[in-house]
Amino acid sequence: MDYKAQLKLQALLDGELPEGEASAVAQWVAQDREAAALLEELRNTRGALAGFDAEVRLPESREFFWSKVERGIQRLETPAPKLARVSYFSLVRRLLVPASAVAVVLIAGLMLIPPAGPTGHTIATEMETALADSGAFTYRDYSAGATLVWLSYPAEDEAAEIDEMGTFD
Amino acid sequence: MAAFEELVARHRDRIYARAYSMMRNEEEAVDLSQEAWVKGWQRLAQFHGESSFATWMTRIVINLCLDQLRKHKRQRAESIEAMDEESGGVERQMPVITVNPTAGLERGELRQRIDQALGQLSYEHRTSLVLHEFEEMEYREIAKTMGCSIGTVMSRLFYARRKLAALLADLKNRNTV
Repeated sequence: MDYKAQLKLQALLDGELPEGEASAVAQWVAQDREAAALLEELRNTRGALAGFDAEVRLPESREFFWSKVERGIQRLETPAPKLARVSYFSLVRRLLVPASAVAVVLIAGLMLIPPAGPTGHTIATEMETALADSGAFTYRDYSAGATLVWLSYPAEDEAAEIDEMGTFD
Repeated sequence: MAAFEELVARHRDRIYARAYSMMRNEEEAVDLSQEAWVKGWQRLAQFHGESSFATWMTRIVINLCLDQLRKHKRQRAESIEAMDEESGGVERQMPVITVNPTAGLERGELRQRIDQALGQLSYEHRTSLVLHEFEEMEYREIAKTMGCSIGTVMSRLFYARRKLAALLADLKNRNTV
């Protein structure tokens, strides 16, 4: 028996053959022992599976299972937390403030530091940046007795507050 | 929400049974049936009553299981059964099982044997069988659900049945020896 014929037998069992073809196959089965035996085997397997999963039960209590489903639904309905919006103005200022501070200090340094004397000693200078406030710089020139303090205004924490009050999208 | 809870309570066993018959793993079946219910809630507006609610929910869980099984398949090598199928169809040459291997078995024992035998089939064969025998889907519907041709469905179904018959006969022989 070829494979095509075997599949036809199965289709007969499953009621998937058109009426005319079904009766032709049924006739062939009646005359062919091998075909009849195969059809019987397929029928037995089908019979064994009948109602097989009717007794399968979910291994969790109604309440527990529902609580999990409910949590899933709630998760679905809770909108994802929005990312804090940062204003364009604030972003620009965050970059510009430190950059301009560094530029000011460099320019001041170039203007205030005189060239090295004939002895070759450089003039003692000191520059400080307050860690707590990156917008404030102190420049001291001990030889010239000069101190320059550069402050960015508004201070960073104040700027953040202003941002929060008046952001624009 | 209370009405939906009632629907879950009413059909949860059926949805779980379908997930279990396809996945063969209790934990995964519970997770997938839970996911199916959440999806069901999400798509409730799409249910227009063309089929029963239980049938509609069953389709959701079947699709979730198929997605999961495909993921599993990608993660591991092809099963022996699948290779057999590709390499020329051993089911065609298998001798016919003339004696009903399940005859005279108690219900519990029969269940256990079928369970064991189903677990040895590849997911494609098992799913074809489950959709045909338990969901009473026609070849065309199975092909659509599984994304294959009707010819492939017929071939998988034939193999699954023959293999199952052989496995059940083998289990019977081992138990009687």
